[in-house]
Amino acid sequence: MRALSQIPGANPYLVPSSSDPAALKDADGAVIPGGFSYGDYIRAGAVAGVGEILEGVRELVDSDRPVLGVCNGFQILAESGILPGALLPNVSAHFVCKWVHVKVAETHTPFTEGIERAVLALPIAHTEGNYYCSELDLERMRKNRLMAFRYSDANGRIAEDTNPNGSVDNIAGIVNERGNVLGMMPHPERASRPSLGSVDGLMILRNFVRRTQ
Amino acid sequence: MTIIYEGKSKRLHTDPDSTERIIVEFTDAVTAGDGARRDLKPGKGKIACDTTEFIYSALASMGIETHLVKRLEGPRLLCHRVRIFPVEAVCRNVAAGSFCRRYGIERGRALSQPLVEFFLKNDALHDPLITAHAIADLGLASEEDVEFMRSVTLSVNYYLTEMFSQVDLKLVDFKLEFGKAADGRILLADEISGDGIRVWEKTGASLDKDLFREDRGDVVAAYRQLLQCIRKSDISKVPSQKERIRVIVMPRDGIKNPQGEVTKKALNRLGLKEADTVRSGRIYDITLDAPLTNSLLMKIKQMNAKLLSNPIAEKSQVRMET
Repeated sequence: MRALSQIPGANPYLVPSSSDPAALKDADGAVIPGGFSYGDYIRAGAVAGVGEILEGVRELVDSDRPVLGVCNGFQILAESGILPGALLPNVSAHFVCKWVHVKVAETHTPFTEGIERAVLALPIAHTEGNYYCSELDLERMRKNRLMAFRYSDANGRIAEDTNPNGSVDNIAGIVNERGNVLGMMPHPERASRPSLGSVDGLMILRNFVRRTQ
Repeated sequence: MTIIYEGKSKRLHTDPDSTERIIVEFTDAVTAGDGARRDLKPGKGKIACDTTEFIYSALASMGIETHLVKRLEGPRLLCHRVRIFPVEAVCRNVAAGSFCRRYGIERGRALSQPLVEFFLKNDALHDPLITAHAIADLGLASEEDVEFMRSVTLSVNYYLTEMFSQVDLKLVDFKLEFGKAADGRILLADEISGDGIRVWEKTGASLDKDLFREDRGDVVAAYRQLLQCIRKSDISKVPSQKERIRVIVMPRDGIKNPQGEVTKKALNRLGLKEADTVRSGRIYDITLDAPLTNSLLMKIKQMNAKLLSNPIAEKSQVRMET
């Protein structure tokens, strides 16, 4: 909320996950944040992924409004089927909390406008961030360049040793074909003020806000 | 109305109004020893029909799906047409009949828990005992269908035992047959009457076909007395039985399972050097307050794919726990 509030033109308001789907009717877009505020039973995001409020999110997606899922929000988007694939336990079996670098795709997506091919410093904090999907989905995402962010080093080199959780193809974030849904494990909102150590995430949030207008 | 099939004590007729239904007519014939002994006992067909109608209606009121549609005039029932599985399910609470002969134990010995056995329906082979694996292997029914029949058989046993005990009768054992309807549902078929059940009074007297098998008395009078007794019972007073479903969720083969790998290392360290791989998954135990039906099982499978497991990365199994 605080990260979004500082962006001119944004007028964010909180819609609790227990709300009626109608609460999202007039929203210009939605951010599903991380933090497991909806409980984390069965699998990360599974219970929230079948929650009633998801009907409202689906409507936003279908009416071409932007939806950004961060961390647990990404897990929820994957569990609900809005984005392909699943987020499995990290290969290390540990909770991972650290700053990482991600390389932004060269493709033009509304969320990555102005930061194409950049290397961003963003924090991750998750136990289930190991992105996995079928060969078929992977092929499709490669072809349509839907892998918005991939874990890399500071120079943008993408390799096994820059992969913090075992994600297939070092995937850190993906967009849907239509380009209005982004799911990502790193936290852009935790890199949105100099005092937090990085402002690299701000561009993503700004792009989200612009897409709502 | 043409005869489709003539069994030892029933005739099946086509239903002139629907190809999905049949008419079951109960005859007065009584047989024993795989049909080796046969006799006609006037009035027996109607009592068997009345008993089946009463019991099947009672079971249906508790949610057990049977082939009975409605009673017709005379000793006849209108039923859903099913393809009968060529196996019989026998449920035993007390040792009697072939169970005693097979294992050489005394009649009347209580079993520690209800026992379900399956028999191949084949008079020439004298209806041999058959295992669930053999049933599946011979293509007579799938393993899941066998588990379903076992589950329903135990539910029937629970409700009938409770019902009968209300009127001071002991349900010793009984035989059921199942069939698959055109829509894929497995329905309790055939009949439940004195012909396919063993019931003892408090005194130990039989109210069933043992009287005929052992030439001990008037079988029709006993069947009539059984019906009169159970008509005084009230199944709605029997608390509903809890069914248990277990859903087992495991990571798909080839998917890394960090929890399992960490567990394996710990087991090796603790001294279980033989542990080669460990895969860790989840188990959900679901209790239902209704007997298992095909549509309920289907619903649970849908819920499993939707919530309990993630088919992208996990494989799962829905098991009927009996």
